[in-house]
Amino acid sequence: MAAAATTPDILTALMSRIAVGDREALRQLYDATSAKLFGVCLRILSDREESEDVLQDVYVTIWRRADRFDATRASVMTWLSTIARNRSIDRLRARGPMAYAEQVDELEIADGADSAETLLSAADDRNKLHGCLSELDERTEKVIRTAFFEGVTYEALAKRMDAPLGTVKSWIRRGLAKLKGCLQA
Amino acid sequence: MSEAPDLSEAEAFAAEHALGVLNARERAEAEGRMAREPAFAADVEAWRERLAPMANAVVGVSPPHDMWRRIERSLPANDNGVVQTRVRFWRNSAMGGFSLAAASLAAVGVLLAQPPTVVTKMQPSPQGQMLNASIISTTDKDRTVPLFVASYDPDRKAIIVTSLLPEGANPQKVQELWLIAGKDHPRPLGFLEPGKSKVIPVEVDMAGKIAAGAALAVSLEAPGGSTDPNGPQGPVVGAGELSKL
Repeated sequence: MAAAATTPDILTALMSRIAVGDREALRQLYDATSAKLFGVCLRILSDREESEDVLQDVYVTIWRRADRFDATRASVMTWLSTIARNRSIDRLRARGPMAYAEQVDELEIADGADSAETLLSAADDRNKLHGCLSELDERTEKVIRTAFFEGVTYEALAKRMDAPLGTVKSWIRRGLAKLKGCLQA
Repeated sequence: MSEAPDLSEAEAFAAEHALGVLNARERAEAEGRMAREPAFAADVEAWRERLAPMANAVVGVSPPHDMWRRIERSLPANDNGVVQTRVRFWRNSAMGGFSLAAASLAAVGVLLAQPPTVVTKMQPSPQGQMLNASIISTTDKDRTVPLFVASYDPDRKAIIVTSLLPEGANPQKVQELWLIAGKDHPRPLGFLEPGKSKVIPVEVDMAGKIAAGAALAVSLEAPGGSTDPNGPQGPVVGAGELSKL
């Protein structure tokens, strides 16, 4: 992967070409981002075949919706990974209630902090978020990570943790407020 | 970490949506608010940016080698992005002088009812290869504005046509799609609906004639379509040659 060719500006330029139907631009975007997005799908779904189906769907979605991407509101990588995450979570939810049977404590939470290869110059942002998450109390950090990677609703989290809904909600809301303060600092 | 001020109710809801903890009903509510309230949408985007580094921190894994081919095969008609943008532009455009309806259908009265001349260099399409055509207005001298875009999928034996005309345009007439292959008379393929996409299955004997170099044309006909076995009765409003991707 050519790190120099995957700067945010280049990705943004590719998006505007995709928006007017340039297949070659989609191909280039695919080359630059597919490993990362496939990683996101695999992380959420833990199933190779399903992740391949979702990844295919993700790039077709990117192709169809590229004209809605607004570079003033979101970075390309965030926009792409949001699509990959949402599609994977949709798939996870479609598996049914069994998907939520796991207990939070048994979840293995890999943060990929040892990843040598980082796409884009996102390493600083990532380290900062990682640092801020680790400043939260352990339970809140776990709940936020679990929610992010599994799209687990408040209701399901409360059931898993055997805690009242309102309590789980206030943990997360307080955690998010702290996170915001920490990221701004 | 020191105590942070609580998030406002609106921002907390935006953050919860970005995080993904809302249930289906709340998610729908959040999506609705994003569409109506720019400030709320901006909050959600900002929270997505804040949380995205979690996803970006996931270790990349190379997808299988044939993945790009799978994606490419499942892309809709080749200039789909253009189609979406243009349809929206035209629908939103109040500029009558440049609107598609004025540029094409209103001008139809002065068109000659003559099928376009088409170069006929027939090549059988290899199995599985999509063919595409932009059906351009016959009055468009610059040949830049397609009225329809079409793809032929040999695997499904079907033509997928998207009409870029405004919905409900010219309700007194129907738009009939024609295949012009070789020296044959134009053969009717089916009817199109303004502003809609349509999948038109192609009969086996006709499918054999669809190849790069053949052309698609659209004529305006009275309801029921042309009754002439040799081709269109009404004016031909657009035509385009099929080519490989």
